[in-house]
This record gives sequence, structure tokens and C-alpha cells, in this order.
Amino acid sequence: MRNIWIIAKNTLKLEIRDKILYGIIVFGLLYVFFTLFLADLVLKEPSMVKAFGLTGIYFFNAIIALFLGTTSFFKDVDRKVVYFILSKPVSRMQFVLGKFFGLCMVLLLTSAILGVAYAGVVLYEHAGFDWIGLTAIAMQFLEMALFLAFAIFVSTFASSLLSIVYTSGVFFLGHIVSQLVTDAKAIGLGGIKLWLVEILYYIFPNLEKFDARDFAIHAVPAPFTSFALAAAYAAVYIILLLTAAVWIFDKKEI
Amino acid sequence: MVDFSHLTKAYKKRVVVDDFTLSVDVPIFGFLGQNGAGKTTIMKMIVGLLDPTSGTITIDGALSSHPIFKKKLGYMPETPYFYERMTGLEFLRFCDELFDNNNSGANPTARTSHYEGILKKVGIFAARNAEIRTYSKGMRQRLGFAQSLVNDPEYLFLDEPLDGLDPIGRREMKEVMLGLKHEGRRIFLNTHILADVEEICDEVGIIHQGKILYAGSVKAFCAGKPLEERFMETVQAHEKQETQI
Repeated sequence: MRNIWIIAKNTLKLEIRDKILYGIIVFGLLYVFFTLFLADLVLKEPSMVKAFGLTGIYFFNAIIALFLGTTSFFKDVDRKVVYFILSKPVSRMQFVLGKFFGLCMVLLLTSAILGVAYAGVVLYEHAGFDWIGLTAIAMQFLEMALFLAFAIFVSTFASSLLSIVYTSGVFFLGHIVSQLVTDAKAIGLGGIKLWLVEILYYIFPNLEKFDARDFAIHAVPAPFTSFALAAAYAAVYIILLLTAAVWIFDKKEI
Repeated sequence: MVDFSHLTKAYKKRVVVDDFTLSVDVPIFGFLGQNGAGKTTIMKMIVGLLDPTSGTITIDGALSSHPIFKKKLGYMPETPYFYERMTGLEFLRFCDELFDNNNSGANPTARTSHYEGILKKVGIFAARNAEIRTYSKGMRQRLGFAQSLVNDPEYLFLDEPLDGLDPIGRREMKEVMLGLKHEGRRIFLNTHILADVEEICDEVGIIHQGKILYAGSVKAFCAGKPLEERFMETVQAHEKQETQI
């Protein structure tokens, strides 16, 4: 555990020194503040501030997760910095987990910064303290953690560019896969086509489970039981992905 | 004592280290060989970065890749790469923290003095608070050497430690190595620079195509001839023998 924490802490320290990350956070903050004007332009309604704000935070966090997940682990291995670490009493499992938790801490930090800005903007719009909105940001964080685990898993066997392609593909499929199954059944698709769609459904994570934005936008009471189930779903998926990543990385000739 | 017993490493069908058997028990031992001879692969197997296809490496009777042994070794990879946005001092602290040893409870100020002492020893103390991305090639080489010393290792494995250093730098690093020898540490170094071997190694191992062609003292190997000439003779004799087979 100690080495995982040291690697995680070091990853956080290094990533928050990255100017690209700063750039994304600054744009994210500008966007969240800009939602005040966007909402005024559309309907002058606080729900629009929430809709624009939460979607923006989701978008910027997805960029950060994609950027960190596909580059950080890969660079350490490709540039052989990992030689310094693995020649010390550090296992490959500790290295993979350390990188994952370090990147999660970066995402937690960016989610917190953007979340505070969002809560401030919603308060300014006299829409009260948006607990559900913050819950939606927490759910987004879980989705991004899963996204990071997938990116690290792919980075153990693919280049940085391929990781971007695969991870983006999973992000896209993860959002449409449940709808695909529903639509396939609705139009009466059968046989091998339905079977293929169902395979996709079981292989790819269902990222729609983490979308809690509508509850915040429409001020509907949040279904905390389904959020808890989604959190458990993310945990299981992350454990499976990281186990596979460790298994592949253990066999990799570095 | 370091024992290599029937050590073999193959990447698919390409054999890089071939049935390598050797015992080493001298303060400074140099692996000498051409580029691609298998020196780096052997060193990576010693420190646990690569698993042998077959055979074992034991140090003082224990497997070298065992985590307990790793606490006693220092390793400097060939052409070291670093976290560019860290400072030299931060990098040493990070490396030291990875050793869950008796230093963990030590006073942070004392540890910082320890890192500063190492940086002074390798000649980059003045740049300790500068980001590594500003370091020259020679400074990176020195930092790579420095990090191998953070845990006060009993055994040091240095892969081409003098590469990229200017003549003064080479001289200074050789003096550091000799100093470490006098402190009782064992040093293994890989090099293809014959003059370095002649100057600081107690014994050498001549490696060619993953095989050990000679192991013993430099003086006995040279037998009155220049090291370069003897090295070429040995390698050519082996190649001729291989061709005849």
C-alpha cells in the first residue's frame, strides 16, 4: 500500500505541473462562469445554467481523463522512467495501481475545482445550493475513473495514439450501447444481429448509468439507490480492468 | 558473491543471452562487449526488470530479483530518462521513498542532507533545485548515478555510467566509483569503453553474442598486450570458431 501511495502522490504532483492540464482547467472554469450569460441568452432560467454547467464539466473532465489516461502510464513505460521504479522494491501491480490512483486524484481535484465554480454560479442565479448537481458531478467522476482504468488497460499493450482511438471508441459505445439494445428489440431485430448487439452490451461498460445530470437540471429527487448500484458497477468494472492491466503488464518485456 | 547459473534469455527465437554461467566476487567487475552483446539484458535480469528464460542469478545465495534483495541494490539504467518536471532533489526523494526501509522514519532534514551529500558527490549539487528538463546529458547521467546511491546499496549495477560525460566528468565519476569500492560496496558496470575497464575494474567479463568468452583479471587477460588488441583477438577467435561449426 505504501508504494502505491508514493507513486500516486508523485503522479498527482507531476500532472498538476502540466501546463496542458492548467489550460483545460482554465477553459473549464471560463466555460462554467460563461454559463451565466448562455442561460440569459436562452431562457433566463437557472435550469439552463445547470444544464450548460454540468455538461461543460463533463466535457472538460472527459478531455482530462482521455489526455491523462492515454499518456501518463504509456510515457513512463515508453520513456523507460519505469526502470528507476521497478528496479526498486516495487511490484508491477503497485506501479499500475499507483498510476491509476494518482490520475484519479488529479480528476478528483479538477472535479472539485469545477464543482465549486458550478455551485457558486448556481447560487448566484438564486437556485439554491445544488446538492443534486454536485451528486451528478460525483457520478461523472466515477465514470471518468472507469474511463481512466480502461485507458491504462489499453496503454499496457498499445501506443498512446491507439489508446486514444480505443478509449474514445469505448466512450462512444459506452453511451449508446444500452440504447442500441433497446432499439434493436423495438424494431424486432433477431438472430445473429441481435446477438451481436447483446454481446456489445455485455462487453462494453454502460456509461449511461452514471448520467445524473437530468435529475439536477429538472430538480427531481435523486434516486440514490441506483447511484449506489452504479458506483458498485464502476468499482467492479475498474477492478476487472486493472486486474487485466496488471496481468498484461506483468508479462510485458520492458 | 554474484552467481549466474546457466542464464539464458531469448526473445521469441532470438537468443540474446546464451547459457551464461559465471561467479563474481571482486569489488569492481566490468562487463565488456560490443553493442548488442547482451550486457544490458544481463543487467536488467539481475535487477528484476526482465525474467530469464531459464537459469538463475543469485547474490549472496538469494535470488537477485527478490524484493528483499532489491533493498540492497542500486541500479543505473543506460541513457536514463526522468520525470522532466521534477527537480533533481525531488527525484532523489521519490526514489528513496520507494525503499520501505529503516530510512522511512528518519528525520526529513537528515534525509535531505543525505540527498544533498549524494548530489555533491556526483557534482550536480548546484542544480539540485532546477527542473530535470533543464539538465544537460552529462548532468542526467550524474543524476542517474546519484539515484542509485539513495539507499546506500551494497551492490551497484551501472549500465554505461560514463556515457555522455566529458573527460572531467569521466574522471570524477571514476573517482566516485573507486571511493565506493573503498567503502566496501560491490560494483558491476557495463561498458564498451576499454580504457575505463582497464583503469577501474578488478576483473572483467568479455561478452560476445550473449556468451561469456573470458572472465578474470584484466592483467591476466592482456598478457602484456594492449586490452583493445586482446579484446579483438578474443572476439575474432570466437567468431572464427563459430563459423567453422
